[in-house]
Amino acid sequence: MLAEGGAAGAVLQVTGLEAVLDGGAGVGPVDLRLAPGEQVLVLGPSGAGKSTLLRCLHGAVPHAVPARVSGEVVVAGRAVAEHGVAALADVVGVLAQDPETGVCLSDVADEVAFPLENLGTPPAAIGPAVAAALGAAGAAHLAGRRTDALSGGELQRVALAAAVVARPRLLLLDEPTSLLDADGVAAVRAALAAARESTGAACVLVEHRLDALAGDAGVAGLPGRWVVLSADGRVTHDGPAAQVARDAGPELLARGCWLPEDVELAAALGGAVAGPGLRDRVLALASTAPPARGAGCDGVTGPRREVLLAARGLAVGRGPRGRRGRRGPAPEPVLRGVDLELRAGEVVALVGANGAGKSTLLTSLAGLLPPLAGTVAGVRPGLVVQNPEHQLAGRTVAAEVAVGLPPGPATDARVAAALARFGLAGLADRDPHRLSGGEQRRLSLAAMLVHDRPVLLADEPTFGLDRHGTAAVLGVLADEARAGRAVLLTCHDLRAVASVADRVLVIADGRLVADVDPLGLVRDPRLLDAARLRPSRLLRWLAVAVADAGRLRDALAALDARGGFAARDPGAARATPAAADPGVAPVAGEPGVAPAAGAPGAALAAGPAEVPAP
Amino acid sequence: MADGVGGGRRREPLALKDIVLMVVLGVVFGFLYWALVQAWNGLAVLMGPAGDLAQHVLLGGWLLVAPIAIAIIRRPGVGVIAEVLASVVEVVFLGSPVGPLLLVAALLQGLGSEIPFALGRYRRFGWARFAVSGLLGATLVFAWSAFRFGWFGQDVLVLRLVLQAASGVVLGGLLAKVVVDALHRTGVLDGFAIGRAAAAERPVVQRRAG
Amino acid sequence: MTPLEARNPTVKLLLLVAVSLVTLALLDPATLVLLYLLGLAAARWGAGVGPRRLLLAQVPFWSFGVGVLLVNALSRPGEALVAGGPFRVTHEGLVVGAALALRGLVIGVGTVAFLASTPPRDLMVSLTRHARLSPRYAYALLAGHRMLAGLPRQWATIRAAQRVRAPLGRDGRPRDGWRAWARSAFALLVASIRASERVALALESRGLSAGPRSVWRPVPLGAGDAALAGGVVGVLALVLAAGAVLAPAGGWW
Ligand SMILES: Nc1ncnc2c1ncn2[C@@H]1O[C@H](COP(=O)(O)OP(=O)(O)OP(=O)(O)O)[C@@H](O)[C@H]1O
Ligand SMILES: Nc1ncnc2c1ncn2[C@@H]1O[C@H](COP(=O)(O)OP(=O)(O)OP(=O)(O)O)[C@@H](O)[C@H]1O
Ligand SMILES: [Mg+2]
Ligand SMILES: [Mg+2]
Repeated sequence: MLAEGGAAGAVLQVTGLEAVLDGGAGVGPVDLRLAPGEQVLVLGPSGAGKSTLLRCLHGAVPHAVPARVSGEVVVAGRAVAEHGVAALADVVGVLAQDPETGVCLSDVADEVAFPLENLGTPPAAIGPAVAAALGAAGAAHLAGRRTDALSGGELQRVALAAAVVARPRLLLLDEPTSLLDADGVAAVRAALAAARESTGAACVLVEHRLDALAGDAGVAGLPGRWVVLSADGRVTHDGPAAQVARDAGPELLARGCWLPEDVELAAALGGAVAGPGLRDRVLALASTAPPARGAGCDGVTGPRREVLLAARGLAVGRGPRGRRGRRGPAPEPVLRGVDLELRAGEVVALVGANGAGKSTLLTSLAGLLPPLAGTVAGVRPGLVVQNPEHQLAGRTVAAEVAVGLPPGPATDARVAAALARFGLAGLADRDPHRLSGGEQRRLSLAAMLVHDRPVLLADEPTFGLDRHGTAAVLGVLADEARAGRAVLLTCHDLRAVASVADRVLVIADGRLVADVDPLGLVRDPRLLDAARLRPSRLLRWLAVAVADAGRLRDALAALDARGGFAARDPGAARATPAAADPGVAPVAGEPGVAPAAGAPGAALAAGPAEVPAP
Repeated sequence: MADGVGGGRRREPLALKDIVLMVVLGVVFGFLYWALVQAWNGLAVLMGPAGDLAQHVLLGGWLLVAPIAIAIIRRPGVGVIAEVLASVVEVVFLGSPVGPLLLVAALLQGLGSEIPFALGRYRRFGWARFAVSGLLGATLVFAWSAFRFGWFGQDVLVLRLVLQAASGVVLGGLLAKVVVDALHRTGVLDGFAIGRAAAAERPVVQRRAG
Repeated sequence: MTPLEARNPTVKLLLLVAVSLVTLALLDPATLVLLYLLGLAAARWGAGVGPRRLLLAQVPFWSFGVGVLLVNALSRPGEALVAGGPFRVTHEGLVVGAALALRGLVIGVGTVAFLASTPPRDLMVSLTRHARLSPRYAYALLAGHRMLAGLPRQWATIRAAQRVRAPLGRDGRPRDGWRAWARSAFALLVASIRASERVALALESRGLSAGPRSVWRPVPLGAGDAALAGGVVGVLALVLAAGAVLAPAGGWW
């Protein structure tokens, strides 16, 4: 079916699209027209329906995910409603968020050849096309490898090669860089640019880590057109990036959207996006920021504080397939010679490249993986693993929090208090698997913290969350430290590290290479490189201007406060809903269905502030 | 296994999602069984000749995949296909020493497990149906095993039959319902036939406001 | 590349099925021993399985075989060879038991040879080309193969995530009962079903359908495979004939 009239030249023509999923969540109405080669960035808070929108565009909704869909989507002249997902594969390339399930076969070259085979490409033409696609994705060196031995970043590159190998006219990218270290992000960025250049594909991109993806080009490195979704899936803005950023910057910040740093700074500090004088305003902010933590309870360095957990000469690693007690080569340690101490009242960040061994080290410190050498001494720590779903063991949210506690009225009271603290009281009877990602993350924290362990180990606690969710989680971690516990977290986001951590441990090349404060890390290019972290412009400016790590943190906190909420202090967020909230706080129809966002407890109400479309 | 097996001529072939689900059920249960057997091995060695009999008690575990797949996908033929796919996983991926003859056992098991659900036209999924499913699966395959392993003429034939049938009812039938119900509660099955059947019974959900 | 590796997987699979079926009709331990020796040779030199690995692969069959032998020897009615208390070992029981145990050994060693010489990818590609298996099933299985490779790691993660909240036992380690095991198993199942939906979508968005497709690196089917098939069938016939002719009237035993 050919679209009529003026749409003939469009790669994508969306008219009055509205999709309502089984649970009642919906997206639309959306009208969108994409010319060949045009790029669009979709923004919105967590749960807004960004992924759902992308799925509508290649027919996964409703062909694979049941939904009521009205309106029309036409891709390259084909109505999606009449064609299945597979029948659009020659014109649409899709790259999903999760690299682990985005790559389906065991051999890299087979994986990339697979779309071509399905399209019936003559075998003689497949080999060169595979090589070209792998080259464009920066993955030529992976051609002979098995996919189960690749890191997340490498997998994502292979998935990208498979998405572009058939030279699609439309590329759909759903958070292609989540969980990747800076090298992985850079690789994806280069691969995307090369793929767009070589195929001229139009592109719809959903992404949280915008600065990482844009690289040094700033806003210019991102698609030139932005479409913004509100928390309930309606389009509130659609236009050139600069215009949307100018018109809606502050409002988007308050809603919890991730924005490019330039836009965020302009929105929070005034002035034009990337305009002159921005740097001066940042520096002014740095010098005037109020100290976030009251004197006395602060402990950037606290030699007097008690050591709660200490590792000496620790070597960690897993055998092939995790087997123990079998003959065969002894497992090669991922990390060795690790000496570290966690003291009461401090937040410590652990950074390193993908596959450096952060998760393995945390598991060992938690006493769940026997060390290959050395010792871990101290109290029994709590551990929050990367994927909250792995931790779920209870049938209801309340039961989940109670797992591992002795039954009785005392436990019930503690559980109730924990639920209230994390804004989960209204969800107490729901199945934990039915929560959104952000809610599950808060639940996993609640379920661990209720055990009152003096040490908390948190693996990528901010992964996949929007700004409100991230702020809430970082706030909780800071609170825990203030209450006298020790917190160790892993994170690929340098700004989050700088805004919460007192100390940073850097691992690289199988060793613990540094133990510095965040400012020391940001100022040391060699260390940053070893940890595969790239500071944004904001951090580089601040690093030069501030006197110490405490001031760096104060400046970031002040910036967050200007942006509509406070990352470090849920109390402050609670106190300032009016300032943060130009509209009316939403009245969620059903307690459980409010979008996953917001600070814990009462601060939640200030989080997903709904802003009426202009 | 051609597309549309058991789907009847007018029916659509199984969705890819359903096929992958069946494979994954085979993979996960195959893996769990392997993990369990690792833990079990010491025990089996200790039991010596009784190990041969003790295996019967666990036999029902092999039947789980078919009733679970049927209850989730609710289409004719799914039980048989799921068992066959699971046996391929077992032999080709996990290297089960039983060899290609496992396919025959899988066909029989799947068939036996499927009969009660077919009689209910894939609309009824009560406890009794699951129990009968496990019972039929176990007894059909018992006939085949008895032939293969020469159990006919052994003194313990009846004991074997009773053990396997009981194991089939409990592990291959009732446990399947427990698993399916628990999975259904979590919402992971919402996109499959079982989830849509439940959604059809509820009033149409209105789009919720933010 | 070993001789068996170079052969077509579908042909090898059919031959393995044929051998398995033939052994089902055999109750003569001598013939089965001969077949077992041939199978060992095929695994060692045809599929290039190292001696150590071959030996290790035999252990489960042997232990299973011993169990079968004992149960049959003790539980089958017939002429008693040894009798002591409630136990008696019968002649028939021994012969039948030995034959049943050997059947398992023959099929087992054949399966080892087959699997050692056949990558799953080649088997599936060949089955779609030469046995008309639908590509949707073949590639769903291959995706399952990749998922399986990731399961041990995921299992370790889930176990760790759940043990951290378990109360400590007397030995100071997290208490670990079958309930905990079942909970972890359920978490693995839920995560895998979620993953299955995403994998299916990934396969579909790359154009996998039941329609015609080309194959980049096809698995050949040729004269060598015919020769292999002829050879195996010939040897099988020879062995059976020898067993029938040479066997003394009352059987070997
Ligand atoms: N298969 C599904 N069935 C029913 N509801 C769903 C399904 N997938 C997502 N939802 C719901 O639809 C809403 C939008 O989800 P979606 O994944 O599109 O959000 P998103 O904007 O991509 O969020 P994030 O930034 O967290 O990825 C959420 O409330 C979610 O719970
Ligand atoms: N259960 C496991 N079995 C075998 N190898 C594993 C297992 N878990 C991790 N590994 C390997 O150990 C190394 C360290 O992995 P780990 O998950 O600790 O890295 P990480 O620093 O957490 O990486 P990321 O930033 O991607 O989360 C990697 O090479 C990984 O492939
Ligand atoms: Mg999403
Ligand atoms: Mg990790």
